[in-house]
Amino acid sequence: MLTAIIKEAWISIASYKLRTFLTMLGIMIGVAAVVMMVSAGQAVQNRITDTFASMGSNLILIGPAELVTGGVRGGRGLPSVTVADVAALKTLKDVETTSYLMNAAVQAVYGSRNYGVSVKGTNPDYLAVNNWEIEDGIMFTEKDVRAAKPYAVIGQTVVDELFGLQNPIGKTIRLKGKPFTVIGTLREKGDGLMGDDQDNIILMPSTTVRQRLAGSPRPQYTGMAFVKATSEDKMELVAKRVEYMLRTRHRLKDGVKNDFTVRLMTEMVEKVRSVGFVLSALLAAIASISLIVGSIGIMNMMLVSVTERTREIGTRKALGAPNSWIMMQFLAESVLISFIGSFVGMVFGIAFSQLGGHLFGYEVPISIWSVIVSVTVAVVVGIVSGLMPALKAMRLNPIDALRYQ
Amino acid sequence: MAEKTVIDVQHVCKTYFMEGGTSQSVLKDINFQIKSGEFVAIMGPSGSGKSTLMNILGCLDKPTSGKYILEGYDIASKDDKELAVIRGKTIGFVFQNFNLMMKRTIADNVSLPLIYQKVGETERYNRAVEMLKKVNLIGYQDRPPSQISGGMQQRVAIARALINNPAIIFADEPTGNLDSKTSDEIMELFTFLNKQGITIVLVTHEDDVADYATRMIKISDGHKVYDGLRKEYSKEKEIKC
Ligand SMILES: Nc1ncnc2c1ncn2[C@@H]1O[C@H](COP(=O)(O)OP(=O)(O)OP(=O)(O)O)[C@@H](O)[C@H]1O
Ligand SMILES: [Mg+2]
Repeated sequence: MLTAIIKEAWISIASYKLRTFLTMLGIMIGVAAVVMMVSAGQAVQNRITDTFASMGSNLILIGPAELVTGGVRGGRGLPSVTVADVAALKTLKDVETTSYLMNAAVQAVYGSRNYGVSVKGTNPDYLAVNNWEIEDGIMFTEKDVRAAKPYAVIGQTVVDELFGLQNPIGKTIRLKGKPFTVIGTLREKGDGLMGDDQDNIILMPSTTVRQRLAGSPRPQYTGMAFVKATSEDKMELVAKRVEYMLRTRHRLKDGVKNDFTVRLMTEMVEKVRSVGFVLSALLAAIASISLIVGSIGIMNMMLVSVTERTREIGTRKALGAPNSWIMMQFLAESVLISFIGSFVGMVFGIAFSQLGGHLFGYEVPISIWSVIVSVTVAVVVGIVSGLMPALKAMRLNPIDALRYQ
Repeated sequence: MAEKTVIDVQHVCKTYFMEGGTSQSVLKDINFQIKSGEFVAIMGPSGSGKSTLMNILGCLDKPTSGKYILEGYDIASKDDKELAVIRGKTIGFVFQNFNLMMKRTIADNVSLPLIYQKVGETERYNRAVEMLKKVNLIGYQDRPPSQISGGMQQRVAIARALINNPAIIFADEPTGNLDSKTSDEIMELFTFLNKQGITIVLVTHEDDVADYATRMIKISDGHKVYDGLRKEYSKEKEIKC
């Protein structure tokens, strides 16, 4: 019965080829647009997630406390976590390593060239914590940190800007007029989340930064501390232990607020991802306007078709067609149109988004969402836009329909 | 021969109610019975209510008052769905303007009523070919109706009316769009079918066409003014009202 209805519907729409094709085109464009927007959104989200992964995802970040005055967030307080605190945190259970940073932005000079770089004073574990790798040469050691050796490990941007094609290892660069020896280079990482250049970096022992570059009034404090948990599911637990240990070490009484903040990298990833999701949903919503236009096209065509075929409908009814059959046939016609339109639109949408990804250097996933969205849209649009014409056909009085010239 | 009554019309009235509150009384207290195997011509001037009567007989419309019993079923008590089944199984329709689907093959047209009886595709086609033989259109099954003459198109429509083996065929001015020679061919086909036991009720304006029928019912201004043998009809025998 259903196959007979679909067959009749198919023959009917196939006998108006141009009109059917143009109507399908509207749905095709709509679905293709939605699929492309969803794919674009996903590509961007994936890029964000990958970037976080390159920063190390089992990471717990410890920074200064947030200042809250009268319920309003007001920037950051003074650093409160000391180098000794960071060393103590390393003894906690499920902690792989710890690290910290002391930042300085300075002008690096080599020969006649100079370039503005971001200097980070840290310990050797910084590499493991932030998924950095050494490209050439070596990383400084704990011994170097204790001795505050003037060693520098430089990122690829710094290599390119200061040395060009020369080998930088063993060369001396100058920052704030003081000499530092390049002992290693870092493997290239690419752009960060905000389009910032992650490779424009110089790593030095934290003690060296403190003594030679930073005029910090509280030299034993870190700007930002990192704790790397052994696995992602241990992070919450480790964060609790970190908080407990720091409160104990800072001698905070019950009821007193933390003088530091503990945040999980996974939480931050989640936050950024959810922003990305809202963004791609918004894009899809805009694209679906063209889908609405397409479905109006179907409704329009079906209404014309019912009027044109009034006598056919009357004849069918006189020859024994039940009302339900008539309704189902017209509904099947609109669903077929939107189904085929959606399918072709989906194929084109996927093809175009792959092409676009190729052009812009993005990895575009072929998502199951495209398929789900397309199929749902096909059925919903077909039924919604076909229902009114189908009901109109069903309600036609056979006598009037046969009298109609 | 005591044939059974297939059509029983009792005190049937039909009034059309138009928008704006006006109404038009088209059929006034019509009574008659038709027995199985009869060949009846319904005649009458234009606008007298013949098509209205045919629509009621064909279960496309219901009387405003009175009773219509078809093959023992009281039509007034049936809903749309049941009426569709009755139309599909016991009635064959032939229209003045054929009402064929021009974009479909002749076989598709002939077998159309079988779709609603849930007959499979192959069987539909085979039965259509079979029916086309009966109306002398062998070999035309795969062509579109637009390629054949009006007389042939009406024969396709008759084949379509026959495909469900109906007890009765209703034809509203089946020769109205045909020349007299083709009209004769069509009427001979009806006569042939009637000889095989099918009850035929047709509406016509033309005396020549009515002559093929055995019985004649004449309607004038909504009243039945003659009901008897066609060959015994004369203007003087009409009931005055
Ligand atoms: N659906 C309808 N609504 C309103 N009035 C109608 C309707 N159908 C028919 N009529 C009116 O009823 C009257 C009888 O119409 P009907 O079609 O039954 O006449 P007829 O005898 O078949 O005429 P003809 O020989 O021209 O076909 C006409 O005046 C017509 O205008
Ligand atoms: Mg008429």
